[in-house]
Amino acid sequence: MTDAAVPGAPEGAAPALQLRRALGLASATATSAGLAFAAMDYLAVVSVAAYAAGDSAWLAILVAGFLALLVAGVFSELNGLYPSAAGIRLYMTRAMGPKSALSVTFTYMTTIVLVIAADAFIIGAAVQHGLHEPAVLAYVWIVLLVGVAMAANLLGVRLAGRVQDLVTYTVLGSTVALSLVAIFHVPGPFRTPFAVFEHGPHGAIEAVAFGVFLYAAFEWVTTTAEEVRSPSVTTRALFIAPGILFVVTALVSFAMSHAVAFHRLHGSAYPQLLLGKATLGTLGELWMLATTVLTAVNTFNGGFLTASRFIYAAAREDTLPRSFARLNLRAVPWLAVVVLGTTSMAVAAAVFATHQWLLLVAVGSTLEALIYAFACWSVLVLRRREPRSRPFRLRAGKPLAIAGVVVFAALGLASGFSDPRHPSKLSALPMAVVVVMAVLSTCYVLMAVPRLRAKARARAAAARPRRRPQRPDTVAPGAPTPDPAASDPASPG
Amino acid sequence: MATWGELEEALADYTVQCNANERLRKMQRDWSRRLHFSCVDSDVTFTMVVDHGEIVEVSEGHDGVPDIGVSASSEVFCDMFWGDLNPVSKYLAGEIKVQGSQEDVMRLDAISAIIWPDT
Repeated sequence: MTDAAVPGAPEGAAPALQLRRALGLASATATSAGLAFAAMDYLAVVSVAAYAAGDSAWLAILVAGFLALLVAGVFSELNGLYPSAAGIRLYMTRAMGPKSALSVTFTYMTTIVLVIAADAFIIGAAVQHGLHEPAVLAYVWIVLLVGVAMAANLLGVRLAGRVQDLVTYTVLGSTVALSLVAIFHVPGPFRTPFAVFEHGPHGAIEAVAFGVFLYAAFEWVTTTAEEVRSPSVTTRALFIAPGILFVVTALVSFAMSHAVAFHRLHGSAYPQLLLGKATLGTLGELWMLATTVLTAVNTFNGGFLTASRFIYAAAREDTLPRSFARLNLRAVPWLAVVVLGTTSMAVAAAVFATHQWLLLVAVGSTLEALIYAFACWSVLVLRRREPRSRPFRLRAGKPLAIAGVVVFAALGLASGFSDPRHPSKLSALPMAVVVVMAVLSTCYVLMAVPRLRAKARARAAAARPRRRPQRPDTVAPGAPTPDPAASDPASPG
Repeated sequence: MATWGELEEALADYTVQCNANERLRKMQRDWSRRLHFSCVDSDVTFTMVVDHGEIVEVSEGHDGVPDIGVSASSEVFCDMFWGDLNPVSKYLAGEIKVQGSQEDVMRLDAISAIIWPDT
């Protein structure tokens, strides 16, 4: 899986321009790792540990890391074909047709709402615990956190790229540092660090399935394809980020299972605070609380921006009601931000009330594995339909993509029928949630979108005639001339 | 294929529409960018300079270091600057390609969304 140089510019790429501001490798890698590493990952580490015996979760995370490298190769090839923020829509449309692509994209975008909601819940619960407040105050923290993120977005507050990079590397560095202190400072032997199969093949498959979730969303760095210095920056970031994520999550899993009794981790919504407390007492707890709060900066900033801009674009192309494209005076799609924020608050509050936080991890794992299977499928189809040159071509792409479809579909099914709260049991609940989301999305695409588009066409036809003057050589005798009022800048738009 | 003359006419109208729109000027008051446009079906290129939301210069050829690069066919550009097509639809279909931050891409579309809300 290496960059295969292809002479000549790829057809899918815009002419190379040297922009005044462009993302370099460090920023692209930080973006990739930062998108993947959220507060939810601490819970996902516990889910992996639930299926891997003793301290062996790192092995499942390693296997998942190799699968993430396959994903990196797949997305590098797709990103090379369609280097655009809208890339996912473009290659899925070409591979599966517009309706299926839209349906998958809508389902995919709901994962952002889940991640924002999960992080709001985890951070709210962690702050409430860290400050020794009554449980009910977690709701207040959830509303406050999402409210602040929503307000900052509505006011057009943007984190400078370097600040965002700094936050990402601080969160990752801080987690690694505390994990190393835990591993070397907390006394006691390591328990079966190589026994990932001790709970049988089922346990190992589930552990890898949840391990994949630890890398989830690293591929979203492809949405910055238009901002990077060159396409190879995205490719390199895609291959480096899983390595960083492996080191961080493997260390934290090792530290958690070494320093804290598993039954305590498993029942907790803030296992990272328990790790901090077991390692350095109150100082460690506050350390991990600060780190957890810091993860919100990336999740809320990146999540709100990505999702609200997606909603804006969908509304502009009439696949969502036009009102979602309304902009405030800071050029922010305010209705999209408000709906996103309130939905996230509601989901976070529901999770807190029902204590179903591990269900969110299982749903996220299932969705992500299935998306990776779709991406592998897209590579297979597009190699046949669009044989043109690409700046990156996955070596042994066909067999690897076929293997990817099979493996990720299997992992999606494994996490979709899992119950991380009771690892020895199976549950169809995660898959049921995913199926309901997919069915709702498909029904919407099949029933509501055609109506929205018909309404948009009628609106455009009724609004005004075409403004562009016809060329003299194409004007038919007796044809009406363009409406001069339409060109009048004073006339209403 | 549209000529530079046709594009120039479209750009002149676009400039008037943008600069005359108070709401748009207010919204883009903190947006100053240099844009390079390239027609993929001809050699025509042009530069647009936006200063605090006001289009202050449109000239043939590429001038200076850009913040944003946009490429499309000359016909698409012409229709876009006349407000006869929805840039987002063309962007999502891969017919308009942009280099620049996601925020700038959205700001660019916001111009069309504000001055021609019906497209």
